Amino acid sequence: MTDYEAPGLAGTTAAGIPLRPFYRPDGSSRDQGTLADPGTYPFTRGRLRPPDARPRGWIQRELSGEGSPRRSNQQLRALLADGALGVDVIGDNPTVSALDPDHPMCAPAVGTTGVSLCRKQDFIELLAGLPLDRMTLSHSLPPAFALAGQYLAGPANGIDPKVMRGSAIQAPIYSEDCCYSTFLPFAMRMRLSLDSIVFSLREMPRFHAFLEDTYYISDGGLNAVEEMSLGLLEIREVCRRLLARGLPVDSFAPRIAILVNCRMDLFEEIAKIRATRRLFARMMREEFGATDPRSWSANIAVHTSGLTLTAAQPANNIVRGALQAMAMAMAGVQGLEISTFDEPFRTPSAIAHQLAIRTQQVIQAETNIGAVEDPLGGSYYVESLTDELERRIDAAVRQVEELGDVDTLVESGYFRRILTGAMDRHSSAVQNGELRIVGVNEHTISPEADRFLRDIAEERFEPDYAHVERIRSWRASRRDAPLQASLERVRDASADPAADLMAPIIAALDADATIGEITSCLREGQGLPGDPFEYAARRLPAGTRP
Amino acid sequence: MTGNQRPGRIVIGTLGLDQHEVGAMAISQFLVRQGYEVIYLGRFNTPERLAAVAEQEDADLIGVSVHSWEFLAYADELVARCRDLGIGLVLGGSVLTDRDQADLIARGADAVFGPYAHEAAMLQQIDAIVHRVRAGDAATHPLGTKDAGLPGPLAGRVVIVTGAARGLGRAYTLELCRQGAAVVASDVDEAALEEVAGAVRDVPGSVHAQACDITDSDAPRLLLRTALGRYGQLHGLVSNAGLLRSGPILRLDDDDLRLLLDVHVTASFRLLRVIGGYWRAEARAGRAVDAAVVLTTSSAGLYGFRAEAAYSAAKAAVAMLARVGADELGRYGATVNAIAPVARTRLTEWLGERTGDPADDPLAAEHIAPVIAWLLRPGARDVTGRVLEAGNGQISVPGTWQPGTRFPLPPLMSPAAADALLPRVLASATPSAALLTSLLDPAGLSDALR
Repeated sequence: MTDYEAPGLAGTTAAGIPLRPFYRPDGSSRDQGTLADPGTYPFTRGRLRPPDARPRGWIQRELSGEGSPRRSNQQLRALLADGALGVDVIGDNPTVSALDPDHPMCAPAVGTTGVSLCRKQDFIELLAGLPLDRMTLSHSLPPAFALAGQYLAGPANGIDPKVMRGSAIQAPIYSEDCCYSTFLPFAMRMRLSLDSIVFSLREMPRFHAFLEDTYYISDGGLNAVEEMSLGLLEIREVCRRLLARGLPVDSFAPRIAILVNCRMDLFEEIAKIRATRRLFARMMREEFGATDPRSWSANIAVHTSGLTLTAAQPANNIVRGALQAMAMAMAGVQGLEISTFDEPFRTPSAIAHQLAIRTQQVIQAETNIGAVEDPLGGSYYVESLTDELERRIDAAVRQVEELGDVDTLVESGYFRRILTGAMDRHSSAVQNGELRIVGVNEHTISPEADRFLRDIAEERFEPDYAHVERIRSWRASRRDAPLQASLERVRDASADPAADLMAPIIAALDADATIGEITSCLREGQGLPGDPFEYAARRLPAGTRP
Repeated sequence: MTGNQRPGRIVIGTLGLDQHEVGAMAISQFLVRQGYEVIYLGRFNTPERLAAVAEQEDADLIGVSVHSWEFLAYADELVARCRDLGIGLVLGGSVLTDRDQADLIARGADAVFGPYAHEAAMLQQIDAIVHRVRAGDAATHPLGTKDAGLPGPLAGRVVIVTGAARGLGRAYTLELCRQGAAVVASDVDEAALEEVAGAVRDVPGSVHAQACDITDSDAPRLLLRTALGRYGQLHGLVSNAGLLRSGPILRLDDDDLRLLLDVHVTASFRLLRVIGGYWRAEARAGRAVDAAVVLTTSSAGLYGFRAEAAYSAAKAAVAMLARVGADELGRYGATVNAIAPVARTRLTEWLGERTGDPADDPLAAEHIAPVIAWLLRPGARDVTGRVLEAGNGQISVPGTWQPGTRFPLPPLMSPAAADALLPRVLASATPSAALLTSLLDPAGLSDALR
């Protein structure tokens, strides 16, 4: 019965790269003597830094946001008090969809999966009293609105936008097909991205205006090669369009950052980051002609994979997060977020948040892992894997680019098929045991025996109906004439392909327009229904079969 | 899905502003592979939209993948709309806790799948809901409150039954499905097998027909592959296929002898080897195996049947397979038992035609099926290596071979010593049961055993 022998360890990496039982010199960059030191081009071994500087460690942050802006502000303060160096704010489902909490579809979702943000006052309350010049604020929010909101809230809290640090996820190609759908057509999403990048470069120069987020696209089941090839593809597309607008590459390339995923095949994930630094450096220098070394050196943050966490035996997730974080510390990332152990159930509980920050602190303070840069550099295995991933990611990028222009690929559903295909592949691999997951498809225990940490994980809270009421009653109190005029300017700008969108959006937000109203005007300017649900229904006709 | 009905049709989507569609996508692809027609609505649905599309597409049920807590606000409206349409409602997702599952069922959902749900169990329940909807029950009873909505004692169990087209195998298949199992039903007679598959309806379980000749050396692998391909796992085997080639020793030719041994002994042995190998692999991979095998012996194999030496010998071999198999497979988490059924089947045509309601017929196969189901129930670890004789209104555990009184065996015994010793040895033995001349002789049988 050879069909049913007990499984051994996999003969390939998670992305399917064949593995040898052990590695020896095999002609990798290491063996050819072309492996440059950390801090030098092509930055395989680590990001640009002053010569002879000690490694600085990474920005420890956690995904946060829950309920009303005031409640989230308390959560952010608690994280900073626990020693977090930055925060990653995610909106609730209405907010990431650019809808207001009092929209008929929204009330049951307000505040349960992130913070509710729809107006200037919300951003002011969210950021009240936070040291925005010293900490970093990452937005897992629709970027143009997040930047506009922060730009208005900074001065209200006494902080000059010029010194604010952080990043905004720009996801024009994939957002609609994955988890950040805002019901806007691709051309409009791309305009919003380009305009908000240009705006941020000018007004918030310390901010990373272009965070390429490969985490969210890959956490449905993409492998490391697919993840980075799609990520680099989007970077290349946005860069080409910025160049086409006449921006010099060295004006924006240093403000690009990448937020990647970290799954459980740890050496592959480490090699992926090393390969990405090298690919990014070559792309910027050789293809886009950047001459500033800061343009060549990729700033990479990581979010450990929520998909690798399990609802069964949630305590195991603490172990997974710690292992992933340790690997990422060895990969030399600039920022790190651990998906908390209760992620399969809810947005992070306070105790899970603290535990995730503590995990990072234990790694940084106690293990000495971060004391030396690229501690795995020179390993036969890691160098061979880095070279192979570089080759495969690069080939995958070229392959997609040969298929034609990105607009057509987006509209034809090409990327959506990749993303949904990966979801199905992942699910099958879990069900048939090909992807081994402890507690799920092996070493299981009965649900009755599986109680440890479940009560915390399964704790629920109500949608923030009070905030819905707050917004509803506030609406009527606004001064209507300036509001309507500002919205009209958004509509006009949307209709004019050459117009800048950021200035009218900021003016409208400042005039107490809501994000939902502004987005409706963006749609109307394009001749689409203002309410996204008519648009969504048209976009996904009934009878669409996978 | 079984028979020639049109495939089950299901509308799948997420609710409200839940942006995650990993689960919706995965279950859709899975159901499509299982022959379902999926109308995939993706994200941003309201109960109204899901119901409108379900009505327009003549769907059997709506499936909602849940990744946020928004479902709490929409559940009652969804239930009401599904009831109006007379269709089923299924929710699934890892955020659904045990309490949610109970709550949603109480509110009227037909099935709810939490983080522990296995594809096989989901498919089985969805199959059952489609059958109920097709039978029109949904319109007359609120779904979720009927008995059929309750998972039976065998819910989630996947069982192979051989010889399932007629007689005992048919009765076993129907009963196992009634108790919630998913049955891979096998028989050499494809047409009769389809009829059985079609007869399974209005019950929590489901059946998948796989025709094959059990004497074919690849048949056990085919059945295992079918079970794993269809349901992803396998918990039980009822090796029931059998035939009779009658005749005294002096008349039974080689072909008949070979056929008897192939069907009863070799096929049972191969099934144990192939399926036992799968359970061993599962156990070695660290997955808990909770499996059961029921082989089919016969009173003939236990006591001998007049003029049926070959059949009796073959069935005796099966009884011993159960006994030794129990020891071997026990270490991997499987029990092995054997049943000696006393029933009216094609093998016992001489018992006369079946008449009327099985409740009035003590020789009906239906009376034995609950015994089989009991042996296959989850967690039945304690019963293994046993033979149960059941039918004609009685059930018992027949005595097995036991060592007799032991006498010293003199070395190199002379003929005279043998003449003196052996009659004493034989006289000390418990008398054997008399050979059977009819299966309907339980009184004589028990007398003989006493």
